[in-house]
Amino acid sequence: MRFSRRGFIVAAAAAGLSGATPAFAGGKLQVVATTGMIADTARRIGGDAVEVKGLMGAGVDPHAYRQTRTDIVAMTKADLVLWHGLYLEAQMEDFFHKLEKRGTVVAVTDKLPRDLLRGHDDYADKFDPHVWMDPRLWVFVTERVRDALIEKMPAAEAQFVANAKAFLAELSDLSDYAKKSLTTVPEEARILLTAHDAFGYFGAAYGFSVLGVQGISTESEAGLNRISTLVDTLIERDIKAVFVESSVSDRTVRALVEGAAAKGHEVAIGGELFSDAMGPDGTYEGTYVGMIDHNITVISDALGGEVPERGMNDRLSAGS
Amino acid sequence: MFWNALTLQLGYNATLVTIGATLLGIAAGVTGTFLYLRKRALVSDAISHATLPGVGIAFMLMVLLGGDGRALPGLLLGAAVSSWIGLLCVSWLTRLTRLSEDAAIGAVLSVFFGFGIVLLTVIQAMGAGRAAGLESFLLGATAGMLFNDALVIAVGGALTLVAVLILRRPMTLLAFDPEYAAARGINVGRMDLAIMALALAVTVIGLKIVGLILIVAMLIIPPVTARFWTERTDHMVLISGLCGGLAAWIGAALSAVAPAMPTGPIIVLVSFGLFVTSLLLAPNRGVLAVYLRHMRFQRRVHLRQGLLALAQGQPIYEAYTVRLLKCAGLAHADGVPTEAGRARAAKALRDEKRWELVRADQAFESAAALYDGLRDIETVLTGDQIAEIDQRIGGPQGVAS
Amino acid sequence: MSLELAANMGAAPKAEIPSDSPLAIRGMTVSYGQKPVVFSVDMTVAEGSMTAIIGPNGAGKSTLLKAALGIVQPLAGQALVYGKPLKSARHRIAYVPQRASVDWDFPTRVIDVVLMGLYRELGLLRRIRPHHIEKARACLERVGMTDFADRQIGQLSGGQQQRVFLARALAQEADLYLLDEPFAGVDAATEKAIIDVLKSLRSEGKTVVAVHHDLTSVRSYFDRVFLINTRKMAEGTVDEAFTSENLNQTYGGRLATGQIDQLELAAG
Repeated sequence: MRFSRRGFIVAAAAAGLSGATPAFAGGKLQVVATTGMIADTARRIGGDAVEVKGLMGAGVDPHAYRQTRTDIVAMTKADLVLWHGLYLEAQMEDFFHKLEKRGTVVAVTDKLPRDLLRGHDDYADKFDPHVWMDPRLWVFVTERVRDALIEKMPAAEAQFVANAKAFLAELSDLSDYAKKSLTTVPEEARILLTAHDAFGYFGAAYGFSVLGVQGISTESEAGLNRISTLVDTLIERDIKAVFVESSVSDRTVRALVEGAAAKGHEVAIGGELFSDAMGPDGTYEGTYVGMIDHNITVISDALGGEVPERGMNDRLSAGS
Repeated sequence: MFWNALTLQLGYNATLVTIGATLLGIAAGVTGTFLYLRKRALVSDAISHATLPGVGIAFMLMVLLGGDGRALPGLLLGAAVSSWIGLLCVSWLTRLTRLSEDAAIGAVLSVFFGFGIVLLTVIQAMGAGRAAGLESFLLGATAGMLFNDALVIAVGGALTLVAVLILRRPMTLLAFDPEYAAARGINVGRMDLAIMALALAVTVIGLKIVGLILIVAMLIIPPVTARFWTERTDHMVLISGLCGGLAAWIGAALSAVAPAMPTGPIIVLVSFGLFVTSLLLAPNRGVLAVYLRHMRFQRRVHLRQGLLALAQGQPIYEAYTVRLLKCAGLAHADGVPTEAGRARAAKALRDEKRWELVRADQAFESAAALYDGLRDIETVLTGDQIAEIDQRIGGPQGVAS
Repeated sequence: MSLELAANMGAAPKAEIPSDSPLAIRGMTVSYGQKPVVFSVDMTVAEGSMTAIIGPNGAGKSTLLKAALGIVQPLAGQALVYGKPLKSARHRIAYVPQRASVDWDFPTRVIDVVLMGLYRELGLLRRIRPHHIEKARACLERVGMTDFADRQIGQLSGGQQQRVFLARALAQEADLYLLDEPFAGVDAATEKAIIDVLKSLRSEGKTVVAVHHDLTSVRSYFDRVFLINTRKMAEGTVDEAFTSENLNQTYGGRLATGQIDQLELAAG
């Protein structure tokens, strides 16, 4: 009920003040997004009609993140709050369910067809939340963000639609690039071992088997037993490179490397991947496209594939 | 597979953790004994909780100076510094205000720990540097244990043990009799700080394996367990180290075998298991031993009293006593003594007379101290001494039938 | 103690502390919080003597000893041991504290406690050798506790514990023995054993100072007395200082009437 009343008032105001910009702070729609990927997507679609504040910056782990007082203030003041859902922001679940009652909260994955989602290893009724790893799935998120923005600011609909279309085109390019690069990796080398099980969708999309020291959430216990099992797997399948992640401690992976070395098997650390967070703000890797580009390039390169050194758009920073 | 883990055949990582944990367990058990003897066990809780802000500040400093925020030596140094400050705060609070020690410990513990949690929250939002990994200091994280970590633990543990070896005598003296120790010239304040410093060292090196919340258990449970097995301080220190090391060895092996098991808590559970076993089964001070001793004592008392009653022609009041006498072949069911019973009764009466003399005579003081109403006097005095006593009390008497 | 105004103030010669006195205390003041327990006390212990420190409860007797030994921090005053500051002459003093201050469930045997007396000789690292154990046993023999050597201290009676503490002090082979209420709560046999040891120490030329609680035995056990009730009340040989006048002043009417008469007192 409140929704339509608000919409009516906005529409009436828009109609009444034809051509005038809607009455948002500074004229822009105030959006708060949890992860960097969502924030970047919102900025791309929103353009200059929105002002997006991201809560979790580079290197921040969304599985463990607890909202601060400043975050709560920002979220209650915002016109629109975008969060990921699918239990990614596990520590904030309760908070978001409470905030939903205000009607400004959107879980960007809520319209994703459930049959496209991977199940959770430990919980029967939960899904793997790391959907951004497959650009084709991120299409659904993009559309959801676009629709949410339009709903809040119908006057800018045309702008939002156009921006979204451009962004979706980039996603399509990304998907093609991924397929092209990753198929150059030899079949027997298509094993991706990282600090936690964040790359399930990546593996499913491009034919890689995926192993993580920790489970789907970084809150899960990394048992000593798991390390020994993985060392054995490393050796058995002759894995040449494993990967650390920017938002998770690299110690478990380094322990794996030492363990394999003790058995005479040399494993290199193929590079640092952006698993749950993007690269530093202001860089190419600090955008969604850059993040995925980086991951694809680094993985292909380390496992013996053929990729341009500076990635899809020739914009990756040197030495990444 | 558990056997493989115990014999260090489960691979490099498990072996590393097992050896590191065992060294930590030994160092903690040994150091914790002196904490226990000095009755300062809970200060170790304040020490461990006070490490948290130091870890956070060290991380932020290292990142600010452009380094990798998670270099272990730097973090441990930060932990040691803030923990030391916490210790000094407890000491100042008790000395300069009217606060009792446990209140001071509680205050320092909560304030420092709370501050540490706040810092962790700030750090989690810091974009610069890889923040993840600091929470692992709360409960330990052995899956990520590297060779360098084990080295730090080994060196730190060895140094701690050497320090304990050097200081064992003054520390024991201080724990046993602080006034006498002060009179001997031991600086009580400084020696107390030394004991705390050793506990601090063990805490810091144990942060990676069991975390700060549980390191207290590794310091306290082994000495409490060892107390059941010995009455000598030097033996207690050794047994405590042994229990600590054993619990760590078994616990680490268990955690290497079971999937997704955190090492620290498992070690503590094993340690507790050793404690409960000792509580129940230790030969002198264990619950079972005390109970059996009591039952045996009760039986002997009843027998003795029954025999004395027979000897003096007095009625036996309790059916339990008669039953015991009957089972021992010393009386019939109606209370009438058998031959053997009569002989024993006479001897019992004679012994009582001998004991009476012994207890009155100063010369037999140490023997008299062993009188418990039951002992055969032959176990306490030599034949000559007994003969001498017999001379003074007259010849043996028979028992009326 | 006479509080007479000096005829010529300021003319007193510079305070000389006799360098041969085993224990010389000057101006010792100790307080717990704001309450003075020992106030400006001077004491000179005569070599080879057996001195009793007596006074009512709370008079500062134990505190005086503890301050002299550095166990509690005085507000003012100093103590010299054989003319030297405490730090350099500590090894010449043996202290027997009150029994109550120890935890008797502590895991240690009688022989271990006596060996603690040898810590100075053993240092931090030297191993305990048979001759150390021999020495400890000899000390136990002197107090009549040889048979108890392997017992845990909690198994002993009060008097036996006291004798073990004395044995520990003997093991230090000191020149000056300070005892805090050595006869309190002990049986007659222990009391005899202890006083025999103290007398044999004196005959060896050692000096003994004991805080003593039982006025009736002062004359038979000691040759000098020191009366204190926060302030020094009197000091001297038993004949000189153990007088009814001094006792009345020290105990301030806390002794029952007739009690003083019953003591063997010097006239006047």
